[in-house]
Amino acid sequence: MSDATRQLIENLNALAAGLFLLTAFGIVAMRQARGCLMLFIAQSLLLAVSAALLGLRFDSGHLYGVALVNLISKPIIVPWLLRRVAPAELYTRREVDQVLNIPTALLIALALAIGAYFLGIPLAKAVGPSSVGPNVPIGIAGLLLGAFTLTVRREALPLLIGLLAMENGAFLAGISIAHDLSMLVELAIATDGLIIVFIVGVLVRAVAKQVGTTAVGELASLREAAARNTERAA
Amino acid sequence: MGERIFYNVLQVITVMAFAPLVSGVLARLKEMVQSKRGPSIFQPYRDLWKLFHKDEIVSEDSSWIFRFTPYVVFVAPIFVTLLIPVLTSYPLFFAFMGDMLGGGFVLALAGFFATLAAVDTANPYGPIGASRTRMVGFLAEPVFMIVFFTVSFVAGSTIPYIVQQKWVTPIANFFAPSHVLLVLAFLMLILAEGGRIPVDNPTGHFELAMIDESKSLEYSGRGFALMKWGGQMKFFVLLCIFLNVLVTPWGLAAGQTLGDVLLAMPLVLFKIFCFILVLVFIESSLAKLRLFRIAEFLGAAFVTSVAAMIAQVFLG
Amino acid sequence: MSVLIILLVPLVAAALAGIPARRPWASGVTVVACLIVLALAARAAWIVAAGGSVTAALGPAWANWVAVDGLSALILVLVALIATTAGIFSVGYLAHESLARAKLRLYHANYNLFVFSMLAIPLIAEPTLVWIVVELTTLASALLVSFENTREALEAAWKYVVLSLMGAGFALFGFLVLFAAMHAAGGGTYTWTGLVAAAPRMPPLLVQTAFLLILIGLGTKVGLVPMHTWLPDAHSQAPSPVCALLSGIETTSILYVILRLFPVMQAVPGAHAETWALVLGLISVGTAAFLLLQVHDYKRLFAFSTVEHMGVILTAVGLGASAHYGAMQQIVSHAVTKSFCFFAAGATLLAVGTRDIAAVRGLIRRAPAAGAALVLGGLGITGAPPLAVFLSEFAILKAGISQGHYVGAGLLALFIVIAFFGVMLHVNRMVFGAPENGAAEPEPSGPHGANGSRLPISCALALILAAVPVLVLGVYIPPPLRALLAQAAAALAR
Repeated sequence: MSDATRQLIENLNALAAGLFLLTAFGIVAMRQARGCLMLFIAQSLLLAVSAALLGLRFDSGHLYGVALVNLISKPIIVPWLLRRVAPAELYTRREVDQVLNIPTALLIALALAIGAYFLGIPLAKAVGPSSVGPNVPIGIAGLLLGAFTLTVRREALPLLIGLLAMENGAFLAGISIAHDLSMLVELAIATDGLIIVFIVGVLVRAVAKQVGTTAVGELASLREAAARNTERAA
Repeated sequence: MGERIFYNVLQVITVMAFAPLVSGVLARLKEMVQSKRGPSIFQPYRDLWKLFHKDEIVSEDSSWIFRFTPYVVFVAPIFVTLLIPVLTSYPLFFAFMGDMLGGGFVLALAGFFATLAAVDTANPYGPIGASRTRMVGFLAEPVFMIVFFTVSFVAGSTIPYIVQQKWVTPIANFFAPSHVLLVLAFLMLILAEGGRIPVDNPTGHFELAMIDESKSLEYSGRGFALMKWGGQMKFFVLLCIFLNVLVTPWGLAAGQTLGDVLLAMPLVLFKIFCFILVLVFIESSLAKLRLFRIAEFLGAAFVTSVAAMIAQVFLG
Repeated sequence: MSVLIILLVPLVAAALAGIPARRPWASGVTVVACLIVLALAARAAWIVAAGGSVTAALGPAWANWVAVDGLSALILVLVALIATTAGIFSVGYLAHESLARAKLRLYHANYNLFVFSMLAIPLIAEPTLVWIVVELTTLASALLVSFENTREALEAAWKYVVLSLMGAGFALFGFLVLFAAMHAAGGGTYTWTGLVAAAPRMPPLLVQTAFLLILIGLGTKVGLVPMHTWLPDAHSQAPSPVCALLSGIETTSILYVILRLFPVMQAVPGAHAETWALVLGLISVGTAAFLLLQVHDYKRLFAFSTVEHMGVILTAVGLGASAHYGAMQQIVSHAVTKSFCFFAAGATLLAVGTRDIAAVRGLIRRAPAAGAALVLGGLGITGAPPLAVFLSEFAILKAGISQGHYVGAGLLALFIVIAFFGVMLHVNRMVFGAPENGAAEPEPSGPHGANGSRLPISCALALILAAVPVLVLGVYIPPPLRALLAQAAAALAR
C-alpha cells in the first residue's frame, strides 16, 4: 500500500470519525424522536465505514467482519425491531422535550467532548502505533455524549438511542485499539444490542399501557419521602 | 502588474454583473420546485433598472446615516471582492490589503450601517428587523470566528489564497474531517447570514416575521436598488468564499493569461449554480424556524465548527 | 463436562417452562432444574475445594473460555443455592389464582434465563463474554422486576435497565481497553488468568483506566454509592423471590467481576486499586447506613442493606490481604442472609398486603411465622451474634485492625452499628409494636391479599431451608467451605 493511499484511507477514516462525533452531538440535541433514530442509523453506518476502512488499512478480515455485523444489526434490524415491538409508543410523539434547553445541552456536550480529548490522547498513545486516527478520543466522546443523552432526555426512544450510542462510541474506540477481538465476542455483542432493543421496547410498551406516557423520565414516584404517600394512595 | 489590476477589476465586474443573476436563478428554481412557472431569471436586473429610474423618497426625520447607508452596503462587497479569489487561484493586485478576517469585518461594517439605518427612520418594523438581525449576527459571530481560526489552524494562514490550496494538496486533505465539518458549519452560516430558509424567508412579505428584509422597508428608488444589489453581491461574495476558499479551488484560473481568467468565469458560475441546486433543495425541504429556535440552529453550527477544530486537534 | 451441563440445565428449563401446561408444570421445572444445578455446582465446588479441577476433562480448547477456580466455584455454588431456595419460594408466592398462566410461564422462563446468566458469570473466563452475560443478567431480570406491572414496578424496571446498561457501556469500553493493554503487553490469551500473567508488562495507564471504567460501570450494577439510586427501587418492586436473587446474589456475582481485576491491578505500579475499593466501599456503607434510618418500605429497607453490604465487602477487599478471607465469608453470609430476609419480607407481604412499614404493627400476633422470620432476618443481616454475618463482619474488622487500618475499620464498625439500629428500629416496630392510635389495621389488599395470613407450604419450606445456613454458618463453618473460602481469598491476590 502506497503512502498516498494510506494517507487517503486514514483521512477518510478520520472523516467518518468526525461525522460520528457530529451525530453524537445531534443525538443530544435533536428535537424530533424520529430524527434521533435517523442520526443513530447514520452513526452506526459511520461506525461500519470506519471499521471497514481500518480493516483496509490493517488488512484485517476481522474488522471487515465487524463492519458487516454493524451494518446489518444496527441500521437495519434495530429500526425494524423497534417498529415491531412498540410502534405506537415510540412514534407517537413527534417532537420531544428535554431537561435542559438545547444550547446549554450542546455547550455541556462540547465540554464533554473536549474532556474526552484529554482522556483519549494519552490512552491512544499508550496503546501504541496500532491505534490510528482520532478513533479513541472520538469514541470516548461518543461514550460520554451517549451517557449525557441519558441524563438530559426524558423520552423512551431518545433514551434507548442514547444507550445504543454509548455502545457505538465504545466500539468506535474499540475497533482502533482492539483489532483482533474474537468474532464470537463481536457477534455476541451485536446480539446483545438487539436484545436490549427488544427488552426496552417491551418495557416501554408496558409503561405506555400502564402509565399512559412514554416520557419515562418523568416517572419519579419511588423516593424515600414520597414512598409513604404512594403506598397509601395505592 | 497592470494585468493583475485588470483581473482584479474583472472580478469586481463579474460579481456586480452576475450577483442579480444568481438571485434570479435561485428564485426561479424555487418556484419551479413548487410546480409554478416563476419569474424570469433576469427579473432582478429589471427590478434594479426600474428602481434606478424611480424617485427616491427620504423621511425628513432621518439623519445622514439613512442616506449614506446604501452606498456602504453597495461598496462593502466590492471591497471584499478585491481580497478574495473569485476567478483566479493566485493573489491579485489588492489582495494584500486584507485576509479573511478583514473581509469579514468589511461585511460586518455594511451590516452595522444597515442596522443603524433601520433604526434611524423610526419605522416600527425597522428596529424589529434590526434587533433580530443583530441576534442572528451575534450568534453567528462565534461560529465565524471558530471557522476562521480552525481554517488558519489547519492551513497555518488566514490568507484565502493559501487556505484554498491546503484542501487539495494532497488530495486526501479534501476528506479531512476538519475540512468537511468546516464546510458544513459554513454552509449553515451562509443560510443564516444570507437570510435564507430555515433562518429567514427571503420571499416573505409579512413584516412581523421579517428579519433581513425589514431593514430596507423604508428605502425606495435608487437607495433601494443599491441596498438590493448590495445584498445580492454580499450573497455572491459569501458563496465565492464558501465555494472557492473553503470547499475547493477547482475551476479557478491558475494561468496568468486573459483566456484562462475568462474561462474561469463560466466554471465558477457553474460551481455556484450547482451549489444553488443544493440550496434550493435545502430551502424547499425545510420550514422556517421559529425565531427562538434560530439560536439552536446556530448552536448546531457552532458545535459543528468546534467539532471540526476538535477533530483537527485529535489528529495532531 | 458437568460444568457445561450446569449452563445447559437452566436454558433447557427456560424452554420447558414456556410450554403451555397446567399450573404446577412451570414451577416444577424451575425447582427441579435448580436442584440439579445445585447438585452439580456443589459437586464442582467440592472438587475445587479438594484441589481438583473440573475443567480439565474439557480439553485445552475450552480453557480459553471456561475456567473454575476457588472464587468462581464459591460464586457458582451460592448462585445455585439461592436460585434453589428462591425457586421453591416462588412456587407458593405466585400460587394465587389471579395470576394468568401465560404470565406464570413468562416468569419461570425469565427466572431460568436469569439463573443461567448468573451461573455463566463465574464460569466464563473470557472477560468480554463475561461482560455480555452481565448484560444478560440485566435483560433477563428486567421483565422480572416489572413483573407486577404496576406504575412503580415499571418505573423501577426502567431505572434499573437504563442505569445498568449505561454502566455496562462504560464497562464495555473498560474491557476493550483491557484487551488493548493485553495486546500492548505482547498478547496472550484474553482470560482472567491470562490477564494476571500479562499484567506486569501492561502499560499502567491502560490498566488503571480499564479498572476505573469497569469499577464505575459494573459498580452501577452492584449498587455502589453514588451509582446506587436504582437499586432500592428495583430490589423492592420485584416479586420477593426475585428480590432474593437480585439482592442476595446478583449484586455479588457482578462484584465478583470487579474483584477479578484486583490481582491484575496489584501487578501495576502505583495502581491503588485497594484505596479505590476502600474509599468507595466506605462511602457506600456510610450512605446506606444513614439512608436506612428513613425508609418507609420494608423491602427498601433490605435493599439499602444490600448497598451497605456491598460496601462492606468492597471495604474488606480494600483493607488488605488478611481481610480477604473475611470478605469471602461476607459474600457467603450476605447471600444466604439477604435471601432469607427477602423471603421473610415476602411472607410478610403475603400476610399483610402492604409494603408500608407504618401500616404494619404487631406482626407477631397476626402472622407469627412471618414475624419471627422478619426478626431473624433483621438480626441476621445487621450482624447480631451468633449469626452468619456477625462472624464475617467480625473477621473483617479484626483483620482491618490487625493491619493497622484503624480509621477504615473504625468507620466500618460505626456504620455497621448505625445500620443495626436503622434496621432493627423498623423491624422491631413492625413485629412487636402496638397498632397506632385510631389507625385501623389495614385490610389485606393487592395481588397477595387472597392468601390472607396463611403462609403457603413451599414458602415455609424455603424459609426453613434458607434459615439453616444463616444459623449454622454463625457457629460452624464446614471444612470444605473453609478450604473454598481460603482458595477464593487467595484468588484476590497475585
